[in-house]
Amino acid sequence: MSITLDQVTKRYQGATVVNDVSLDIGDGEFFVLLGPSGGGKTTLLRAVAGLTGVDHGRISLHGRDVTHVAARERGVGLVFQNYALFRHMTVADNIEFALRVRRMRAAARRARRKELLRLVSLEGLDDRLPAQLSGGQQQRVAVARALAHKPEVLLLDEPFGALDAKIREELRRTIRQVQRELGITTVLVTHDQEEAFALADRIGIMNLGRLLEMGRPDDLYARPATRFVATFLGAANLLLARQSARGLSFGSDPVVVPHVESGVHVREHEVVAVLRPEEIELAPSREALSTAYMADGAVDEILFSGALERLRVRLGDGAAGAHVVRSESGSDPPYLEVTRSQHEQRVFPLVPGQEVALGVRRLHVLPTPLSSFMVCAPNEEIARQLGGESLLNELATRMKTRIAVQVEPSLGSAALIGSAPSLAAASPGIALSPGAASSLRSASLPGSVPSLAEADGDEGLAFGGAAVIASRPGALRSVEWLLNRGAEKVFVLPPSAPSPRRVLIHWVDESARRATLAVSASLLRHVSAEAVYVGILPQGGALNAQRPLGMRALLDARSEAQAVHGLDMRTELRFGDVARELALRLAESPDQLLILGITDVAELDKRFASLLDEPRWPILIVYEPGERTRAAEPARTADLIRFA
Amino acid sequence: MAIGVPLAVREELATRPGRDTLFTVAVRWLLIAVSLVFLAGLLLAPLATVFATAFSHGLRAYLNAVMDPDTRSAIRLTLVSAAVVVPVNTLFGLAASWCIAKFEFRGKSFFLTLIDLPLAVSPVISGMLMVLLFGLQGWFGHWLQDHNISIIFALPGIIIAEMFVTFPYVARELIPLMQQLGNDEEEAAITMGAGAWMTFFRVTLPKVRWGLIYGVILCNARTMGEFGAVSVVSGHIRGLTITMPLHIEILYEQYDFVGAFAVASLLTLLAVLTLIIKTLVERTGYKRR
Repeated sequence: MSITLDQVTKRYQGATVVNDVSLDIGDGEFFVLLGPSGGGKTTLLRAVAGLTGVDHGRISLHGRDVTHVAARERGVGLVFQNYALFRHMTVADNIEFALRVRRMRAAARRARRKELLRLVSLEGLDDRLPAQLSGGQQQRVAVARALAHKPEVLLLDEPFGALDAKIREELRRTIRQVQRELGITTVLVTHDQEEAFALADRIGIMNLGRLLEMGRPDDLYARPATRFVATFLGAANLLLARQSARGLSFGSDPVVVPHVESGVHVREHEVVAVLRPEEIELAPSREALSTAYMADGAVDEILFSGALERLRVRLGDGAAGAHVVRSESGSDPPYLEVTRSQHEQRVFPLVPGQEVALGVRRLHVLPTPLSSFMVCAPNEEIARQLGGESLLNELATRMKTRIAVQVEPSLGSAALIGSAPSLAAASPGIALSPGAASSLRSASLPGSVPSLAEADGDEGLAFGGAAVIASRPGALRSVEWLLNRGAEKVFVLPPSAPSPRRVLIHWVDESARRATLAVSASLLRHVSAEAVYVGILPQGGALNAQRPLGMRALLDARSEAQAVHGLDMRTELRFGDVARELALRLAESPDQLLILGITDVAELDKRFASLLDEPRWPILIVYEPGERTRAAEPARTADLIRFA
Repeated sequence: MAIGVPLAVREELATRPGRDTLFTVAVRWLLIAVSLVFLAGLLLAPLATVFATAFSHGLRAYLNAVMDPDTRSAIRLTLVSAAVVVPVNTLFGLAASWCIAKFEFRGKSFFLTLIDLPLAVSPVISGMLMVLLFGLQGWFGHWLQDHNISIIFALPGIIIAEMFVTFPYVARELIPLMQQLGNDEEEAAITMGAGAWMTFFRVTLPKVRWGLIYGVILCNARTMGEFGAVSVVSGHIRGLTITMPLHIEILYEQYDFVGAFAVASLLTLLAVLTLIIKTLVERTGYKRR
């Protein structure tokens, strides 16, 4: 491996800028770090170059640990966004600088300079000053200069940022060519996805300091694992869909897409589907579609943009609630973005307002367990309050999902609070639809319950994603009630909780590990917080005998988080009573969040009553019933659903 | 050009922005004239007076005045002190601006304010501070006397006072320049394997050289012309601790106008020379950039 990063973390004035990034870059590979500005990619690049120290983790270049090696001894070539040429030196002196540092003979220097200038096609400009060159030429000089001392690694920090489109493309080609010719391991930082696609062997996508996903460009585009990557790489429609044995359906209209991967999640549940604009087919009627029918819609807006036609299609009544991508303003009605080729335009010309049938060529389901949030409250006032919580809205905005609201009077009823948890199902005053009452695990809330979500066109989904309740006295009972009725994730939210800086993760039983990790990874991708898995062993005489066991659990947790979810987390081992230790750890600072995995609802009352009665910290409870054996988490390829 | 163009059109053209009319021309010349008269009255006339008075008794009297042993000693003292003060303050200015532009540390703004202090405090007070520190009644007075070191009323005192007063000139010139030029070139040099000294001498110093020269020139002009602070610490010992500005004052008070103005003309020449160098530096500096 040319470059190996192991859990690299960099904090800056308390904020985590680079958050537990681990990465292997092979010899001769062209790796592109892509992400929005402020995502930590430049900091990471500077850390590799040695210009920025790291707070945690290790960096190795070609197997040599350089974490504490000075920048000048790392032997990397670095190209800056604004060229950083020595303005008082000629092009020749600039390029020969690194050779002069190495006391190379003048003749050898000149030969190397000629070679480099040929490589970047700038022959004959040796005696110019940087100010006499154009931006593109200056950047070429910068590339030649960075390569002069034959570095093992070439790092480029937004090298095309300040150039116009034409020159950018030309320079892009040059850099790709130089990289191929020299076979040098290259890391390029950019926020331009087109650039990343054009150059990269592999792309790593960073946001909020975390390396979210990495892979081949086409792979990442076709099969993103996270909402952020799906929408950042190209345009994407994100839809909330229900997945069942029959297939996928959107909205309340049971439009079942025929094919779905087998054996996974037999029980109906909510998923997030990615629908690329170019994968949607438009036809005059359902029968005319050559692909799987998805919904009806009406063309709302048509934009001509050269090769492609961009349309916004309003979904018909049946599927309108499926759309979850919230625009920045949040007020836009649900639209699907569709692009069509010139050929498609000629075959089926469209005008605004026209009714169309939508078909789906290809659909990708994100393996994210946190599909949406559903605020559950005993009355509308509490619901409104809870729905307006800044942390919840921040999460929903970043996750590009919606917050549905479910008013459930029984959540606040005396019967609920007084009832024993195991009897909750039988307690009176709880409105459940007849079908759901018989099978609690697949209960869906009845559509007749007064619901603020009606504006969304939502007509009572099964517990999609996480149920959100307010942290009040007796919150524990509400949690139990919800878990007994089919909720798998319950988020207990204290009033005006701050955005977390640290997320503590703990599961009671190893069989809850998978689900808890999946939820943790999903949440952590959207907050700039550090993840810490807290393993807790009971205190006792057999301490030394248990220690290896505890360490083993920690290592397992870490490697699974990394392998399955691409989540890097720190681990720590504590001894004592679980609830007490967690409370102690939480008490250290207010901006923390706890993710707690359980396998038995009764455990909550037995072991966490003190923690959950009226928590001061946001707590996300992940419930994974122990007796149920779930199929393995779908592999990425199995997630791909093909139609037609 | 006017042929064939109707008057109305010409008038309309004249009202467009950027066109000269009789009125705008008149206003322009009036403004120029006022500023010229002002300049001539306030700046040029005194300058001319200096030379006129210096040569009022002929060239011989002028030369005599300049060749006077006391005058020569004053000139020597001025040059010697400048030769010490300017390099020391240049080094300090470079170091201070480097650490302010490149590093973040606690108390940075306090440090910046401290550098500005000599500009804000009257030079006389600066001189008094020196006396309070190093004079016989001062904090270090007895210790200095015990070790037979004389600072006040001697060359070291003059140098320290001048140093204090001209402290900010180089640093003030370099700090904004270094902050504006950023750190990228240095970082590039470091990744190419250059060490700290090489980075400084091959990259940083050439990068800021014009600003540095400008700062040094200002510092030099102020050092040679400093009166207030030096006056307090020098003790006015003729032929020993008299710098040129002090010497001019003494001659003037003795009604030796020719002598006073002859020395003054030398100092003025030094100042004018400095300004000329400064202008040249600015020109080449801008051209190179």
